[in-house]
Amino acid sequence: MDEIEVSLTGSGRGPRSEVLAVGGGNSCETVRSLLPRGLLNSCPAGVASCPASSCPFRSPRWPRLTLQESVLLLGPRPTPSAMEFSELIRTGRAQAKLLRGPEVPPLHGTLCVTGHHLLLLPGPQATSDLWLLLLRSVDSIEKRVSGDSGTITLRCKDLRVLQLDIEGVEATRDIARSIEALSSLESVITSFPFFYRPKGLRLGDAWHFHPPERYYKRVARETNAWRLSEVNEDFSLCPSYPRAVIVPRAVDDDALARCARFRQGGRFPVLSYHHAPSGTVLLRSSQPLTGPQKRHCAEDEELLWAVLAGARPGARGFILDTRSAQAAKQARVTGGGTEARAAYPGWKRLHRPLERGRPLQESFVRLVEACGYLEQSTDCWRSRLEACHWLGHVKEALSTACLAAQAMEREGACVLVHGAEGTDSTLLVTSLAQLILDPSSRTVAGFQELVEREWIQAGHPFQLRCAHSAFSHARPKHEAPTFLLFLDCVWQLGRQFPLSLEFGEGLLLALFEHAYASPFGTFLCSSEKERCLCEVRTRTHSLWSGLNQPKEQRKLRNPLYVPSPLAIWPSVEPQSLRLWQGLFLRWTRPNLQR
Amino acid sequence: MASAPTSKYNSHSLENESIKRGTFFILIDKEVIYICPFNGPIKGRVYITNYRLYLRSLETDSALILDVPLGVISRIEKMGGATSRGENSYGLDITCKVRDSVLSYEGHSRRDMFEILTRYAFPLAHSLPIFAFLNEEKFNVDGWMVYNPVEEYRRQGLPNHHWRITFINKCYELCDTYPALLVVPYRASDDDLRRVATFRSRNRIPVLSWIHPENKTVIVRCSQPLVGMSGKRNKDDEKYLDVIRETNRQISKLTIYDARPNVNAVANKATGGGYESDDAYHNAELFFLDIHNIHVMRESLKKVKDIVYPNVEESHWLSSLESTHWLEHIKLVLTGAIQVADKVSSGKSSVLVHCSDGWDRTAQLTSLAMLMLDSYYRSIEGFEILVQKEWISFGHKFASFPTAFEFNERFLITILDHLYSCRFGTFLYNCESVREKQKVTERTVSLWSLINSNKDKFKNPFYTKEINRVLYPVASMRHLELWVNYYIRWNPRIKQQQPNPVEQRYVELLALRDEYIQRLEELQLASSAKLSDPSPSPSSPSQMMPHVHTHF
Repeated sequence: MDEIEVSLTGSGRGPRSEVLAVGGGNSCETVRSLLPRGLLNSCPAGVASCPASSCPFRSPRWPRLTLQESVLLLGPRPTPSAMEFSELIRTGRAQAKLLRGPEVPPLHGTLCVTGHHLLLLPGPQATSDLWLLLLRSVDSIEKRVSGDSGTITLRCKDLRVLQLDIEGVEATRDIARSIEALSSLESVITSFPFFYRPKGLRLGDAWHFHPPERYYKRVARETNAWRLSEVNEDFSLCPSYPRAVIVPRAVDDDALARCARFRQGGRFPVLSYHHAPSGTVLLRSSQPLTGPQKRHCAEDEELLWAVLAGARPGARGFILDTRSAQAAKQARVTGGGTEARAAYPGWKRLHRPLERGRPLQESFVRLVEACGYLEQSTDCWRSRLEACHWLGHVKEALSTACLAAQAMEREGACVLVHGAEGTDSTLLVTSLAQLILDPSSRTVAGFQELVEREWIQAGHPFQLRCAHSAFSHARPKHEAPTFLLFLDCVWQLGRQFPLSLEFGEGLLLALFEHAYASPFGTFLCSSEKERCLCEVRTRTHSLWSGLNQPKEQRKLRNPLYVPSPLAIWPSVEPQSLRLWQGLFLRWTRPNLQR
Repeated sequence: MASAPTSKYNSHSLENESIKRGTFFILIDKEVIYICPFNGPIKGRVYITNYRLYLRSLETDSALILDVPLGVISRIEKMGGATSRGENSYGLDITCKVRDSVLSYEGHSRRDMFEILTRYAFPLAHSLPIFAFLNEEKFNVDGWMVYNPVEEYRRQGLPNHHWRITFINKCYELCDTYPALLVVPYRASDDDLRRVATFRSRNRIPVLSWIHPENKTVIVRCSQPLVGMSGKRNKDDEKYLDVIRETNRQISKLTIYDARPNVNAVANKATGGGYESDDAYHNAELFFLDIHNIHVMRESLKKVKDIVYPNVEESHWLSSLESTHWLEHIKLVLTGAIQVADKVSSGKSSVLVHCSDGWDRTAQLTSLAMLMLDSYYRSIEGFEILVQKEWISFGHKFASFPTAFEFNERFLITILDHLYSCRFGTFLYNCESVREKQKVTERTVSLWSLINSNKDKFKNPFYTKEINRVLYPVASMRHLELWVNYYIRWNPRIKQQQPNPVEQRYVELLALRDEYIQRLEELQLASSAKLSDPSPSPSSPSQMMPHVHTHF
């Protein structure tokens, strides 16, 4: 990172949160020269600090770049030569044998490394087609050489393990190095989705985009107490929120701006779901920045008061903190905290600690490890499964979501969910609660809308959380399988209510795969701001366009689906929760139809 | 085994109309307090008939909360004394074979109830007949007719050149625990059989269970050879096994599967048993399958009961389940059965299976292997025959083949429920000779009468008939699950949607399909009638009919 020279253009406390430009007098022309030819159509440096007066992208709408965002665009080491893919490819091709699992016959052919893919061209007599692997989906690579050949083991982000036997020691080394370098490129705009142009799909299909306006229309049909605010239009209030958010009608944009300053990352309370039958709402936010001085924010208090006033008369509220009471209290030391009871009349705080971050990632890694062990008679599978605690996390997530849903449906209360940042376990709870309560979110289209609205646009940092899966040797930094945990919980719902979801396991598996590595742009970046900077919506294809093609749809649907208006209350007893074999044992499961 | 309203399949509910037909009569009818392990004390009305004990709650909309055939009661004890203080401390403690129940009283005398329960729950100790002999239920199908050994062997193509049917055991003289009709090698004379019997535990000689329809390999079952410490040999037994081997000429060895762990087989020599040694049986290969005996299994099952009833172990569910070793036993039985089936089907070698006495583990192995090999046994009738023929210990492990079985989970649970209920004669006594003596088929009703007169209830809507498909289940701990719907069905917190919504939906869809096919045919007929008048159309109904076949 130190290879990027940066200069402060704004003023303030910490450099990380401040506005920076790619330094060294880089105009957008020089930045452009760092990138592969013809890739960049807009100014990556951000107009505000672009010294080139001729910059064609000068427009006040353009947000300015943070250091993190520059890295996102350019990668950490944007030396001109390294940015050419051809420079990273050390060898063109080699003869190889590919082993894809115990029951799949091996594939022989010519192995090629391209900028984004690993290809295996089968020999002339072979009956199979070209085999293709997106390099981005490689999680870890391991090479061994012996004699005059070598073996490369690729562990993929979708938990597949592939083995390549390659002729020639040099070729093996070169191919391994090429895969290693290309699979770990961090730059977004040079990633494959920016090049992927499948037949039959048009770029920028707006039909598959679910703008906040669309959801607001639905809410407005049900209640008049809420409005759509564009206060975050330039992402300056909250970089992880979309341009428009749904807020109480009684609160104006100035008040929102002050609320944003009182919440971590600017994530002030916004509407997540309106439950029409009970007239209650589900809100989400980040923690309040009460700090050691126990600060207050009148606008924030008014906002939550307005929520209760806008719901049915006498409505109460629950603040569901996804941290323990202890952890919430401790957060004050670092400037965070939790809502003081006296300041928020009508609201009651509940603590339901959910695991996040590193411990969750470790649980995932241990589970995948346990699933990968070859079975022996002495192997203590169930104790090991228990020790991973993955199903414990599933149980906690589902029961917290049930609590939120119950408060709304049974007690007629409004619910605000937050943890610390409000971008992980918070979204897990709000999205699961909607699946429990809202029949429309259980349809194929409704579920896609839910993922889009409650995960992608709500600012779950996919780029950071899904950078690596369970096999990577790199020390985890921001990785956490929060989204996978969500998909697992949905799978449990589907197992317990086999007729209630319009989609089957296929859709969940597809979302897992694409969240970690995808030819589509849907899961790129960590926020709408970044997606806007990279022009993801206009320059990559949407996964929803890909999945909603008729031939794909058939594979994703649950043929037993029967629409039902009822809430689905899952059982969270340990006996009712199962390991998601279709995902975790997908590649090791022996073929039953011998 | 008792049923509760929470149970998914209640095969003998109070509402069952046959209860009122005179066979069953009420002995006791009074108000009690039932200490429900899940919900605490419940005021209810208890009814005890000569068949069962049931209890209706007086608090919650007359819901049935307890329904226990007296046959499943294993112990009745008086709890507390007349001077007992404290709430609900005076009453009866009733232990069932699968779960415990406590009945508690307030102010009533418990003596009459205790006496009646004891008499009817343990009839033999009070010189009373078992309920099955009193049961006069009538069904429109006679389940006793389901199994006819001659018919079943004929279905398998027996007798043939190599195998004959013998009536040597007609009066159960050769072996009192074997049926009257046996299938043995053609080349073995009745005298040979008698000599072999002296060398097999309880005279249970190797007899045919199943023959492969194409490669003619066989599954043969028996008990252990009486080798003893001195390593005795028996020329007739050795020759007999060789004769069995020769009925199939594709492979030069006969495969012997000893179900026991190696050490147990060795230990059995001390009590006169043992296994076939290499020296004595040159043309046989012996494998041990490491399956433990019924005592170990019973202990294991008891541990399962302990972690699921009354309260389900929550915090360490998976490791507690593992520590029962129950699924490990299931895995070993399943692995053994897969080996047997694979040897016969792919290895083209005849197989001889035994354990010690050859009636527990051997039956598990042969019946499971036959279920994998022969799709006939996966139909309702075929399974009944298999149970009747080979004995049963079977769970849900075949759940991974949703279309391969004609019967559903309810069928299996019903069979298990009536293992102890004493309502039917099917599972009374240990062998055919005693059953014959007690005239069980004349004096009792068969469980198969109940099932076969109401077959639709027990059918799996996903069933697709396949003739020669061999099933290879995955016997891996990763893929075995506890049969929650059976073992944890009492617990109201593990809610099951009932009846099974998927099955019900599937039945609806099938009905819908039939309706559409019928409509299509009608429309085609109508249009062809219209079209046939002026000029013949290219899309006549006969050409369109193939499209009607939808694949389900």
